[in-house]
Amino acid sequence: MTTEKKPSQEFIKIEYAQPRTYLWSSGRYLGRLYKEAMDNKKLVTNRCPKCKELIWPPSAVCGRCKVEAGEDWVEMSDKGTVIQYTYLVFPLWDPHYGEKWANPYPTATIKLDNGVYMVHHLEEKDPEKLKSVKRVQAVWKEEGQGRGLGDILYFRTIEE
Amino acid sequence: MSEHVADVVERLPDADVFVYHGRIFIPDAYTAGAVGSKFLIELRDNKRIMGTKCPACSRVYVPARSTCTECFEQLDQWVEVSDKGTVLTYSIACQPTVAQPVPAPIVYGIIHLDGADTGLVHMIGEVEFEKLHVGMRVQAVFKEQRTANILDIKYFRPL
Repeated sequence: MTTEKKPSQEFIKIEYAQPRTYLWSSGRYLGRLYKEAMDNKKLVTNRCPKCKELIWPPSAVCGRCKVEAGEDWVEMSDKGTVIQYTYLVFPLWDPHYGEKWANPYPTATIKLDNGVYMVHHLEEKDPEKLKSVKRVQAVWKEEGQGRGLGDILYFRTIEE
Repeated sequence: MSEHVADVVERLPDADVFVYHGRIFIPDAYTAGAVGSKFLIELRDNKRIMGTKCPACSRVYVPARSTCTECFEQLDQWVEVSDKGTVLTYSIACQPTVAQPVPAPIVYGIIHLDGADTGLVHMIGEVEFEKLHVGMRVQAVFKEQRTANILDIKYFRPL
C-alpha cells in the first residue's frame, strides 16, 4: 500500500474589524472635576446643602437627601489611608483594543482625608511591602488628559 | 487590521464638559474554505474572476461556491468569467459607518458578469451619480497590491 500525499491547498483567512464607536459626555458636574484634575491637578467635589456631606463623585443631586446639590465646591485632599487592597496577578485585557494591561495590578480602596472612598492603583508592587502600606498620596500624570481620576497615575506610599 | 485609534477626549468650549469618543475594538476572522480560497487566490495571482459551473443545470456561480442551490450538485468545474458585466441594481450609501471598506459615499451594485448566472455584490466607482442606471456596462478595476480579498477588485468602472 502506498500513501499518496494530497497536494495541499492554500487556504485564505480573512481578518476584519467592525469597531463600535460611542460617545459619552461627562456632564457639567463631573466635567468640573475633570477640568480641575486636568488643569490644576486637584480633586474637587461638591457638598450637599442639606446634610453637608461631600457627594462623591460630584453630582447634580445628593443621593442621600434627594435635593439639588448646587455649586458648593470643595477641594479634597490628595492624601489618604489604605483601607483594603487587592494584588491582582491575572493578566487583563483592554476591552476596547485587545491590548494587555501591565500586571501585577495592585489596587486599593483609599479613604481620603476628607472621608471620601476611592478605588485606585498603588505604586508599590511588592506583595510583602503592600501589607504595611498605610498612608498614600496621589501622583499625577505629567500631562493632564481630561480623564478625571485617570489623570492620577497611582498612589505613592508616604511616611508620616 | 488592528489599527489602534486612541480614544479622543473632546473638551467643549466654555462649558467644562468633556465628551469621550470611544471605540470598542472587535477583531474577527473567517476562513474562506476550499472553494472560496481558490476564488480569492485567482483574483490575487491572475486577476481572473472564476466561477463554478453546475454539471446538471449549467448555472455558473460567481463568486464560486461548492454546491448548487437548485440541484444540490457538487460543483467542481471551474470556469473563468469576463471582468465586464451589467449592473442589475445599485444603491448609493452616503452615511459613513466604521464597517465600510472605503470612505463614503459608496455606490454599491449587484453586477451580472458576462458568462455568470448570478449577481456579484461590489462597488461601482469613477461614476457620476446622475449617470448611474440599471443595465449600465461596467468593468472590474483590480488593485496593484492584492491580498486575496474580494476588495482586490477595487471597484467596477463604467465602460
